[in-house]
Amino acid sequence: MTTLEIKNLDVSFGEKKILDNLSFNLDSGQIAALLGPSGCGKTTLLRSIAGLIQPDAGTIRFGKQLVSLSSLSLPAHKRKIGYVPQEGALFPHLNIAQNIAFGIDRSAFTKEQIKQVVKEMLTLIDLVGFDKRMPNELSGGQQTRVALARALAVKPAMILLDEPFSALDAQLRAELRTDVIKLLRTQKTTAILVTHDREEALVSSDVVALMRDGKIMQQGSPEQVYSSPTSATTAMSTGDTLVLSAKRLVNGQTNYLFNPINLDANILEIGEVVIRPEEIKISKDLSSAKIIGEITKIDYYGHDAMVEIAVSNESVQVRIPGPAKYATGEKVALEHLGPIRFFANSKS
Amino acid sequence: MQLTKIPSTTGSLNSSINRGNTYKAIVLSLVFVVIALTLIPIFYLLMRAFQKPVAEIWALLFRPKTLEVVLTTSLLVVAVVALTALVGILIATGLHFVKLPFRATFLILLVIPLAIPSYVFTYTWIALLPSFSGFLAAVFILFLTTLPYVILASLAGLRRVDGSQIEVARSFGFNNAQIFFKVVLPQIRGHISGGVLLVGLYTMSDFGAVSLLNVDTLTVTIQNMYRASYDRNAAAVISLLLVFLSALFVITDERFKSKNLLNKTTKTTGTKVYTISSKPYQITLISVFAVNTLVAVAVPVYVLLTRFINNPVAIDWRSIATASISTVVVAFFGAVIALVLSIPVGVLLSEKPTRYSRITNRVILIGHALPGVVVGLALVAFGSKLGFIYQTTFLLAFAYALLFLAKSVASMSGSLAKVPEGAKEVAATLGMNKWAVLKNVVTPIAAPGIALGTTLVFLTAMKELPATLMLRPTGFETLATQIWSSAAISRFNEAAPYALVLLIIAAVPTFILSRPDRVDKALTTQEIRG
Repeated sequence: MTTLEIKNLDVSFGEKKILDNLSFNLDSGQIAALLGPSGCGKTTLLRSIAGLIQPDAGTIRFGKQLVSLSSLSLPAHKRKIGYVPQEGALFPHLNIAQNIAFGIDRSAFTKEQIKQVVKEMLTLIDLVGFDKRMPNELSGGQQTRVALARALAVKPAMILLDEPFSALDAQLRAELRTDVIKLLRTQKTTAILVTHDREEALVSSDVVALMRDGKIMQQGSPEQVYSSPTSATTAMSTGDTLVLSAKRLVNGQTNYLFNPINLDANILEIGEVVIRPEEIKISKDLSSAKIIGEITKIDYYGHDAMVEIAVSNESVQVRIPGPAKYATGEKVALEHLGPIRFFANSKS
Repeated sequence: MQLTKIPSTTGSLNSSINRGNTYKAIVLSLVFVVIALTLIPIFYLLMRAFQKPVAEIWALLFRPKTLEVVLTTSLLVVAVVALTALVGILIATGLHFVKLPFRATFLILLVIPLAIPSYVFTYTWIALLPSFSGFLAAVFILFLTTLPYVILASLAGLRRVDGSQIEVARSFGFNNAQIFFKVVLPQIRGHISGGVLLVGLYTMSDFGAVSLLNVDTLTVTIQNMYRASYDRNAAAVISLLLVFLSALFVITDERFKSKNLLNKTTKTTGTKVYTISSKPYQITLISVFAVNTLVAVAVPVYVLLTRFINNPVAIDWRSIATASISTVVVAFFGAVIALVLSIPVGVLLSEKPTRYSRITNRVILIGHALPGVVVGLALVAFGSKLGFIYQTTFLLAFAYALLFLAKSVASMSGSLAKVPEGAKEVAATLGMNKWAVLKNVVTPIAAPGIALGTTLVFLTAMKELPATLMLRPTGFETLATQIWSSAAISRFNEAAPYALVLLIIAAVPTFILSRPDRVDKALTTQEIRG
């Protein structure tokens, strides 16, 4: 069932168009990641869904309910969605229990029931015993967990997370992310996570939406967007990418760095081939090699290494499993394992 | 698309779309009312002044006597501002960076002069040294009276300077003086300018001290013209001249203020405190504090106590009690009116800047530049038109509210601006409309700062003299008027008990305000906003 349906959404701040005729759907229970560089409009989209921004045109539906139509929009407090902004935004004047209970309707629940929900939430976020603490006594990760619990406590139809882990260090970030995603999955909550971290988007979500310049460029499962990008740009949004100029020939073959066939056959179109660094194999055995290059740089990461190799006039990046047994200056044989993703240059 | 085409499921969409606009409209119309009230004095002064022929106005403005008074006033302002800024910044910097025993006590001793009105300062010094008079004496008294403003404002700014920046500067081999000028001073400039604004406006509007010391400033001239009541229209002309000079000062100060301090998101948490423990610095500072305490606290208190004890006339306790109650009640109502008036303005100014908020800010700043004499004179004119409020304590409380509205607005908007935007938004997504957010999130977070700002208004209103003299109902006496009526005719013994009571009452809010974190809430916010 579709929980969220956005059609032709436009948002402008003054002259500047932030969201440009954007459409997006999300099924119930799914976790979506909005991935894109800063300034691409992903936070604006999230805030439009939350009702914190009034769009200029387009529609937003929650299930069957229309919440935004052209410049008419249902205010945030009537939308029943959970919102976790950057750095949590806990209420500084309330303790943890009061923060979590903040959104619960006091007229619909008894004090005991509210207490019970708070208790459940504290267990869920693994902060039992912290109920009387104040937000400033908590670490960044704990604050984020409380912010999440506060949003979940009202059992929202959907939860929106705006780069909730951005303020944390790498290890804590990965841990907390795993916890939060697990939590959202057990609660079967529909969620949208805004992030500019490629790995975070791929590892956390069922659906990745790649955003750029106020538009969604591609939307699909993490595997789809990573291995079947729709353009060189979308490929670059999801991971390290090698873009090589290429020519497609009439006979169906592609001429590019790793397939330097002669160009006797007629050229059909000119464009680019997009390769992931792990799709290239290198070896020390130069005897039967078609392509040979010289290693110019090795970035060693422990579990793997990124090797930069000069081939003809190009510089090629290759990811190899660590520990690296190569040295800079060494000559190596290169082979592209495929697939060949060819994108024709947009013609005028 | 037409509204009628919306499916029935959007009934709630239909009914709630206009809420945001209603809120805006209510806030803006309330702001309009406040602005209209603020402009009443200027409106009445203009009306009065232009009852005179333009040629006469011109003659009045350019006669030698007027020019002389303007010159005296300007010189006084420049001298007091320069002196307080220099000494105040040095004291605050020392207090912030040098490790000292009894730091909190020193701070209280430096701030307690806030509880002593300038006219009490003056009369205690005259009682001690009968020849104490003239321009330099006025500079000295106003320096003592206004020094706490600069110290508090600078301290508030210094609290925001990150100690690690100083460590970095030190690692580059900078000495203390270089660090002060290159790292510290540029960052506290905005706060200093806020303190200087208070000092300048205070000096310009002071009436009690200059009058007792026989220095002819604009306020004295206006009061004399009013008292002689030979030509109230002429008094209005000179009042407008004073308003013009004050406004000029406000504008100059605005220019000086560094722009980046207007940034709301300045972080105050997590800054490291840097301290120096050096004997020479400590000894110098403690000596300065000792001298200041001697001249600004010990002398007035000593004189008041000896005059009180040696007073041969029987003390009229009943009259003291009545005056005390009147003082507290009227000042309290003034502070409450200012608080109420500042709510819509504060709400508007704490939100995203718009054309309206910029205009409002200007008007409130102009209000800030209205001296007590001027507001007094204008409200006398206004009140005599509206007979039913003339000669009422309400009009006096209203005068206090107008006089100190800028203080109240500053702490209101500053406190409101400190409420994190994210917290408001989260509350909205958790089902709260704008009013509920205001009640459950904004108010509890902002209340402490607003309460401290109101305390400051209350304190200032208790000490107010010129407007009180003009607007009090016949027979209504406050501590200030009682002190004045005795001190003005050199009956220092009779004034002493009233002055002591005023000092004791005023010391309570001053104590409350003399903790740096509280000062930060009550004062700095207004330094940022002017």
